[in-house]
Amino acid sequence: MFDFIKRFAKPQQLRSSGVLGMNARNYFMISRHNKRSLYPLVDDKVQTKKLANNININTPHMIGVIEHQYEVKNLLQIVAGHSEFVIKPAHGSQGKGVLVIKHYENNEFTTASGKKLGFNEVYQHISNLLSGLYSLGGQYDVALIEELVHFSDVFANFSYQGIPDVRLIIYKGYPIMAMTRLATKESDGRANLHQGAVGVGLDMRSGKAVQAVLHNLPVRLHPDTEVDLMTLQVPFWREHLLIGSQAYEMTGLGYLGADIVLDKERGPMMLELNARPGLAIQIANGRGLKEVIKNVDKYYPKNLSAEERVDFVLNHAM
Amino acid sequence: MKKLYSVRGLLTLFLIATIIFATIATWYKIAVWGFSFKPTEKADVWTVDAHIAFEPNGQPIEVSLATPRSLGAYRILSEDTVAKGYEVRKNEKNHRVKMTSKGRSAKQNLYYRIKLYDNEDTTGKVWADKPAKVQKPQFENEQQKQMVDEIWALADEKEGSKAKRIIELLNEESLAPEVDAFLPVKKTPKIMADKIIWLLSTKSVPARVVRGVKLMEKKRAANADLMLEVYEGSKWQVYNIETGTMGLPKDFVLFQRGDVSLLDVSGGYNSSIKFSVVKSVISSFKMANSRAKYENSRLFNYTIYDLPSLEQNILKWLMIFPLGILLVVVLRNVIGISTMGTFTPMLVAMALVRTGFVSGFICFSVIIILGLIIRTLLTRLNLLLVPRISAVVIFVILIMQLLTVFGYHTEWKVIAAAAFFPIIITAWIIERACITWEEEGARNAVKQIVNTLFVAVITYFVISSDYIRHIMFAFNEWNLVILAIVMLLGTYTGYRLTELKRFAPLVKEK
Repeated sequence: MFDFIKRFAKPQQLRSSGVLGMNARNYFMISRHNKRSLYPLVDDKVQTKKLANNININTPHMIGVIEHQYEVKNLLQIVAGHSEFVIKPAHGSQGKGVLVIKHYENNEFTTASGKKLGFNEVYQHISNLLSGLYSLGGQYDVALIEELVHFSDVFANFSYQGIPDVRLIIYKGYPIMAMTRLATKESDGRANLHQGAVGVGLDMRSGKAVQAVLHNLPVRLHPDTEVDLMTLQVPFWREHLLIGSQAYEMTGLGYLGADIVLDKERGPMMLELNARPGLAIQIANGRGLKEVIKNVDKYYPKNLSAEERVDFVLNHAM
Repeated sequence: MKKLYSVRGLLTLFLIATIIFATIATWYKIAVWGFSFKPTEKADVWTVDAHIAFEPNGQPIEVSLATPRSLGAYRILSEDTVAKGYEVRKNEKNHRVKMTSKGRSAKQNLYYRIKLYDNEDTTGKVWADKPAKVQKPQFENEQQKQMVDEIWALADEKEGSKAKRIIELLNEESLAPEVDAFLPVKKTPKIMADKIIWLLSTKSVPARVVRGVKLMEKKRAANADLMLEVYEGSKWQVYNIETGTMGLPKDFVLFQRGDVSLLDVSGGYNSSIKFSVVKSVISSFKMANSRAKYENSRLFNYTIYDLPSLEQNILKWLMIFPLGILLVVVLRNVIGISTMGTFTPMLVAMALVRTGFVSGFICFSVIIILGLIIRTLLTRLNLLLVPRISAVVIFVILIMQLLTVFGYHTEWKVIAAAAFFPIIITAWIIERACITWEEEGARNAVKQIVNTLFVAVITYFVISSDYIRHIMFAFNEWNLVILAIVMLLGTYTGYRLTELKRFAPLVKEK
């Protein structure tokens, strides 16, 4: 009975640790810094991709878009010449509805987890997607077909299937917190922490692992690959931060999340942006967002360019 | 931060204002309209019917009836006349109701009906006027004077006031020979009253008859009850003619007193008035409504309690919503339970109220489980989303139909509850659960269903309580307070209860 209560923190303990709660996030961060009219820029991945390409931010190449039900049968023509690709909903979130085709040959689609699908199953998936099954408000959606990211060998042993991406929280253009999410067998190749993925907090100056958590508990080794997670360091760290920092000017959102992947050949690429980034990043880092936000408001200089902001973070981030 | 505080301050002021308003309104409803917090309280209501009958003589008719001026411990709930084709006019000052009509031929039957209820806090205050000086009667002869003297001599052996003594003497079981000689053989209350008044007048004590109705169950077509009113020591005292007991009984409704008549009929003859009394029991809430309407019609006419009962029942159902919504807001934003759809649990809870808890719960579970099985089978058919969810909706309807028919024939009421569940909501729960199952695993799907049902059950226990439902309807001003609380919760930026556990690892150890 008392053990159960002990697992709860006192509100003042969380407050003194600077933890940002859901209500405070919605009230102080999202509704104050993110104009509703700007949401479509990040909620629609096709638009985000166009905006990013305009300012020379790398994104996965687009193979095609399926907007209407009658176009679904054209899938094979669209992907002709590609043996691997990703189908994702333009309005999806949290990786919902993303279908990764590792190999496509003779009308057989092999997914990232090795499952073999026929044309009918892929057709069905796209139909669901267009009907709005994975979209935020359940509205009609668009299927985006992109090239597959060849994720860097650096991460090869850190993740059990799936693409480990770097999540940055950008406040007033300053990247303030970062983590990478590593899929596990338990999470079935997905990168959601509540489904059993490993969250690794990253140091803002170096991109080195700070700590790792699995189901809210600190871990040292990846549960499947048994690699020491503390040895993880994200290469091209400055470039990662720059993409995130540029997203501020690109969208005008004062508080956003940026998901960035590292491609073997093309370097860091912007995967998607999020106007309502989750709070699990605090758990991965073992620290609250509130104190960093306070520091930005108080001490970080205003009116810097994206490059200058990144340099400031690389030199002064605490 | 400044903005938050000003918004919060404004909303706090709003909350305080609504609480003050609701408190005053509640006080007013209880004190003036007689509303009660308890939903099931019963009150006695007496219906007194005065039936006036007469034969018209062709002349224009004018019927004048004395209406109650003192109601003892009772108050009027409603008052009406049944007199078709008559013009009815009420004279509050003289306490009379006048019904006029052109001349008629057939026998006339008119009714005057009042409903009375027990009111503990009013004592029957009898309005009084000063009597004229009593003229001592002239005795017919010396013998009569002697008889009166002898009677008074006997009466003076008893105790109490003159009136009490004389009444007791005249009502003894074995009458004294003098009294027996004085009284006629036929002793109706009216004759007895007249004799007592005459005897009292010989001693210069003013006395008169009052007429009214004693509230007794199953009184049918009875004559008006008589009592005696005697002027003693500068005020009128009411005496029971048979026992000499002083004071107006609690259950005596006084219609007429003094020199005015109980009933005047012009334009007719053979008039009679008979009283019937019926006692009924209604809920105090219903009674309070009628009473408020009678006493304060202008304000009351614009409240929901003056609507027909069909509309009232709909509103009674609606009035419970705000509380359910408040509960959802608290459970989501303060406790932090995530459910399928924001108001889905509330809709399920409302269905449970209609079906009853156990039967509804079992039935709902059966529908969800069967629906999930069918939905899983549908997956294999590769249908498009909208037709697929539509198919699930139709399947849910068919399952409900099946359960209802089965329930009727087996007389198993548990199953007959099926038809009350919101079909579309149920279908969406099935669809969402199925997708969650595929995407995030069985554990998450079950967890979401359990969360949703948990919130639904909590909401059910709040909104199914007769007590709470009565209060939210009878004192609907508290919905404004709920509105203020919900808006104030919109500025709650503290941690949710579930976050205290979720973020517990972030606590820095000292």
